[in-house]
Amino acid sequence: MASKVTEQALNLIKAMPRVALNNIKPLPYTAFKKKVNRQGNRKKKGRGDKGQGARGTWDPLGYEGGQHPLIDTSPRERYYAQYAVRRQYPPVSLLELQRLIDLNRVDVSRPIDITSICNTGLYSFHISKNHFGVNLTDEGCDQFAAKINLEVQWTSELVIAAIEKNGGTITTRYYDPPCLAALYDPLTFFKKGQPIPKCKVPPQDTLAYYSDPNFRGYLADPEKVLEAREKLAQKYGYKLPDLKDDPVKEMLLMRKDPLQIFYGLEPGWVVNLTEKCILKPKDEDYLRYYHTAY
Amino acid sequence: MNCHPKLYTILCWPVGLKHIVNNFKRSKTVCKGWQTWACSQRLQSSISHDASKIKQESTDSTQETSSKPVVTSRSLKFPTKHTYPRLAWLESMDSVESKKLGILDLHPDVFAVYPRIDILHQNVHWQQMYRYIDYNFEKSRAELRGGGRKPWPQKGLGKARHGSIRSPLWIRGAKAHGPRGPTSYFYVLPRAVRGLGLRVALSCKYAQNDLVVVDSFDSLPSSDPEFMAEMADVRFWGYSVLFVDDTDVMPENIAVSSSGNDGFSLMPAYGLNVYSILKHETLVMTMAALEKVEKKLLEEMHSTDRQRKFVNTLRPEDFYTKSKEDNRMYRKWTQPLNF
Repeated sequence: MASKVTEQALNLIKAMPRVALNNIKPLPYTAFKKKVNRQGNRKKKGRGDKGQGARGTWDPLGYEGGQHPLIDTSPRERYYAQYAVRRQYPPVSLLELQRLIDLNRVDVSRPIDITSICNTGLYSFHISKNHFGVNLTDEGCDQFAAKINLEVQWTSELVIAAIEKNGGTITTRYYDPPCLAALYDPLTFFKKGQPIPKCKVPPQDTLAYYSDPNFRGYLADPEKVLEAREKLAQKYGYKLPDLKDDPVKEMLLMRKDPLQIFYGLEPGWVVNLTEKCILKPKDEDYLRYYHTAY
Repeated sequence: MNCHPKLYTILCWPVGLKHIVNNFKRSKTVCKGWQTWACSQRLQSSISHDASKIKQESTDSTQETSSKPVVTSRSLKFPTKHTYPRLAWLESMDSVESKKLGILDLHPDVFAVYPRIDILHQNVHWQQMYRYIDYNFEKSRAELRGGGRKPWPQKGLGKARHGSIRSPLWIRGAKAHGPRGPTSYFYVLPRAVRGLGLRVALSCKYAQNDLVVVDSFDSLPSSDPEFMAEMADVRFWGYSVLFVDDTDVMPENIAVSSSGNDGFSLMPAYGLNVYSILKHETLVMTMAALEKVEKKLLEEMHSTDRQRKFVNTLRPEDFYTKSKEDNRMYRKWTQPLNF
């Protein structure tokens, strides 16, 4: 409340005449503007000469001579309702992902997240267009045969089955736009010298999705995820490969902290590319900020 | 699942829970720290030359009643982060000259807000208008006497055509769209604007050194109006002073002495309003009234309940004092008349 401006204003009125009934007034231009009486001038009243403009004789749009109009009787289908604020997930199909793997565009020996998909150069998204990451679609689910640890932003049940059938793991993960900007092009982000942002909690309407074990949400209970894996295998009729004796078990079970956006880097750290070192904050307030979710 | 995100983090994320708990603990300590910081600021700022004495006396105050100031600590609710509490002397009314009893903390959200003069104007305008009823009334051409007859024939006289001598065009004719009847200008200013108006008015009074805080009105020794006038004169209170107490039962001395002086008014805390604050040159509040007003304004400021739209359910019938007359021409007699 009391900003510098307030202090200055209070100091200013100290030396001024007493604020009293005789010297208060409203802000300028707040009074109602007087209406122009168009009927007063008996000319064309700003409506031009003759015709529809002057007389307004045409029917309004959609008017059907008194019959209940089509525009009113037909149901509305608002495909583009709230388009500007809807979250978009540009799709990647399983076929395309398989192709990226076959062409060695992504490294299967490491966990695959949105950064590794963007680094292929064959996928891009725009934060300014409300893009919130990858939607992995089920096209080519029968051909898919790779054992990967995948992290995507949106997916369906069939895709999860296709990946887990091959012994892989999948997580759905939400990133907020500043984090997505860092993940899209980490090099440019690190060159800015900014601390790595912490990831925010998903919005209210996606919370259910990201904490649902059936969609392998990153906020779901891990034990329930294991249960859901079993159930899905029974539903689609495949045998779930055992992860216990897997040689790449550690890689397959790597997960990020809900606040973390890069593997191995914590929020709040600064990656210094010129001196090739990592700067970690020590201030207690910083640490509290970067380790608290809200 | 519909659930608040914060709750979600608590439910499905033990790490987050720990931090939330830690934060909560920390915020409590911060609140305490704010007060101690305020206390130290208070000592360092305007009375730094007396600070050492004050500290000594505050410890000895229980043993002897000294005339020198003692810090009066108040616990301010709703502490603010980015500003500091304001200071005011606590004075007494027991002598003509001002006696300083101590120093008070004033909440900056009430006594140091931005001086919005336009908000003051809105409040004053509302206070003047909501009770104003415009009784101006102009008769229409139908209500004026005469004018039923066509003054002259439509045609054949070479004169302008007219149908009534009471038409608005005529001298002694009716007025077109004149004021009609008692018109109410009642409206309700939004609650937030009313609250802000009071806070701005108090801030202006404080900034211009027109706010006086006294311990109570009981200590006024005399009911002589001249004593009060002299007190106002010596203390530079000006010609008009508004005394505000927390109750509406005032001590006899101040009631009698202020009734003998023009321009001195008494008011309970619940009647405090922007118009009266601005009308009087100085505002004198008791400690109890200050507490009450500050608490009320802060609660209003931080309350989350929405203002309900004012709906007037009263009908004109509700204001009738006389019972309805029985104007029936025929009445049924239930009992035979006795002659």
